[in-house]
Amino acid sequence: MAASELAQYVVTGLLVGGVYALMSIGLALIFGIMRVVNFAQGDFMMLGMYLTFYYAVALGIDPLLGALLSIPPFFVLGLLVHRAFLARVTGGGDPNREMDAQLILTLGLSLVITNATTMILSPMPRSINAPYASKAFAVGPLLLNQARTYSFATALLLAAAVYAFLTRTDLGKALRAAADDPEAAGYQGINVRTMHGVAFGIGIALVAAAGGLLASYHPIEPNVAVNFIVLMFVAVVLGGLGSIPGAFVGGIVIGLVQSLTLLLLPLQLQNVGVFVAFLIVLYVRPQGLFGRRARTV
Amino acid sequence: MSRLTRFLALTLALVLLAPMVAVPVAVAAEDVKIALVAPLSGRWARQGQLKKMGAEMAIEEINSQGGIKALGGAKIVLREADAGDSVEKAVSAAQRVLTREKISAGIGSWLSSFTLGVTEVAERLQVPWLTLSYADNITERGFKYTFQTSPVSSLQAEQALDLVVEIGKKNNRPLKKAALVGDNTAATVFFFKPLREKLLAAKGIELVADEVWTPPLADATSIVQKLRATQPDIVFYGATNFPDSVQMLQKLKEFNVKTIIQGVGAWLVTPEYVKAIGKENLDGIQTVVAAHPLKGQEALVKKFVERTGEPFMTQDPLCTYAHVWLIKEAAEQAKSADPKAIREALAKIDLTAGPAATTLYPGRIRFDERGRRVGAIPIIVQWQNGEPYTVVPTAVSTRPLASVK
Repeated sequence: MAASELAQYVVTGLLVGGVYALMSIGLALIFGIMRVVNFAQGDFMMLGMYLTFYYAVALGIDPLLGALLSIPPFFVLGLLVHRAFLARVTGGGDPNREMDAQLILTLGLSLVITNATTMILSPMPRSINAPYASKAFAVGPLLLNQARTYSFATALLLAAAVYAFLTRTDLGKALRAAADDPEAAGYQGINVRTMHGVAFGIGIALVAAAGGLLASYHPIEPNVAVNFIVLMFVAVVLGGLGSIPGAFVGGIVIGLVQSLTLLLLPLQLQNVGVFVAFLIVLYVRPQGLFGRRARTV
Repeated sequence: MSRLTRFLALTLALVLLAPMVAVPVAVAAEDVKIALVAPLSGRWARQGQLKKMGAEMAIEEINSQGGIKALGGAKIVLREADAGDSVEKAVSAAQRVLTREKISAGIGSWLSSFTLGVTEVAERLQVPWLTLSYADNITERGFKYTFQTSPVSSLQAEQALDLVVEIGKKNNRPLKKAALVGDNTAATVFFFKPLREKLLAAKGIELVADEVWTPPLADATSIVQKLRATQPDIVFYGATNFPDSVQMLQKLKEFNVKTIIQGVGAWLVTPEYVKAIGKENLDGIQTVVAAHPLKGQEALVKKFVERTGEPFMTQDPLCTYAHVWLIKEAAEQAKSADPKAIREALAKIDLTAGPAATTLYPGRIRFDERGRRVGAIPIIVQWQNGEPYTVVPTAVSTRPLASVK
């Protein structure tokens, strides 16, 4: 095999992984801070795709910008969903409380969102067909899909912004404190419930933005989430449950493995590669790539 | 007798007498129930929606024209069940809809893999089942209640290959290299199998790429890279899942791979492709289907377009429309809404006129002992300027075949 061909596989894997990474950090954030396994994450991504689509159709906004513009409304939506539903079943950060209730709640939310969208917007797939979706940057012998390259860059920027927010700002530190020790955080005057709402809002906003980026080259339909939700969970567990950098790396690794698997296995077994890699990582490092020992899976 | 006792006695008498008065009327106009098991959610929901549109249009026509005359003007009602996105869901949907009440006949379930499961339920419960699915093995299991109106996949492969080879010769661009690209759903599998095993070799065509995946496809780059490297003259194409197909076609453009694309199935001619790919990129893409509007069906298409707001009509609503009319004809001939009687009528039917026969080319409906429609011929449809037209058979084509640039 020519080196250029191998390089093409690597580049493709990286670009595909970039958006997986952004999807996954939202999920990791929600789990890391709230201990909530959000099965509806993929559905919020789907809603993000639709919002970006309507931005593009109604206002002529480019999907890359649309993805960023979907962050504020989805942050608010996340706060509302948390206040209305999740706050009732997640108790003050106590990880042992009512895990089953929140699992059922997020699974139910997922079903309701998918089916309501199918009913209201019909199952007809919609597409933005951005002009750069089927164009490529030629770098030597390599071809980099333009839509995926832009999405990758935007995903990288957003992930960096979230990381900076969590490590550099007071609110970010309060969020992490609420995650590490809810009780002690409460003694320090941090409102753990509010922090959970903020975490959920950010988590939803990030996945909606990832959906917006995806919408620049992927058709939008009510059930699009099923194609991605499993990969998101794999990325989060691979990276170490709840670790933000871990989820980011996990997403990238999945993209790379999906792409490089094709060098060894037939196309039909593309995702087998992902799960084999997943099992190997968990066997060698049960806590995931970036997880702490205490959070052994 | 106290007032209460008298009231109770009167009520009881009414309850007992009511059926005697009501029965003759009720029997005369008892609805004939048709089940439609199709994907109404999940990744093939759009196809289910299109099928439903066709069924509803036929039912409205039949009922407004006086229903089933042999049954005293009985009306047809549709009982739809969601086949979802897996064979298990499709089977349990069929089970539910067929056991809940008396169903005279059923239609479905679009994806061959679903139909294989659903027809097992129909066979067990002895309800005649009409399907547009292509896979050969649907009618290779000795089932008595399954009726397949479409030409089977292997036949479609044979005829599509003959046609493209002929066109290649005529245009002085003989086909030397071919690729198979598609998912592993049943209809595609049966289309590719004979091509891979014997047909291509028999025509002296080399198979240079054989790429099959399980939907969804993560990324199409590796496939298109192979196509770019091997440069096939034609790609036999079976990506039934819309996002997979869009990715593939976008990538072909991105990598500037120029080749003839010969699809299998009506999923490749749905209106949403125009928005997703752009009509200039669709031009020339052709696909083999079981039905498509023919010359002379303009009024039907116009009615469908006005009714549904869809830009054009394709195989899925057309076939379901024909299926409902076919069940109506069978019920007329059987003079019964009983599923077994309708099965007998379907097995013996020989229709050469009416909406069902004119919709399914070549205009005659009868079934062999396996339940396959005798003489079913595939139709080749080609995208031209953002709309799919019937190009073969030429006798009923709505546009001449355009050569691919």
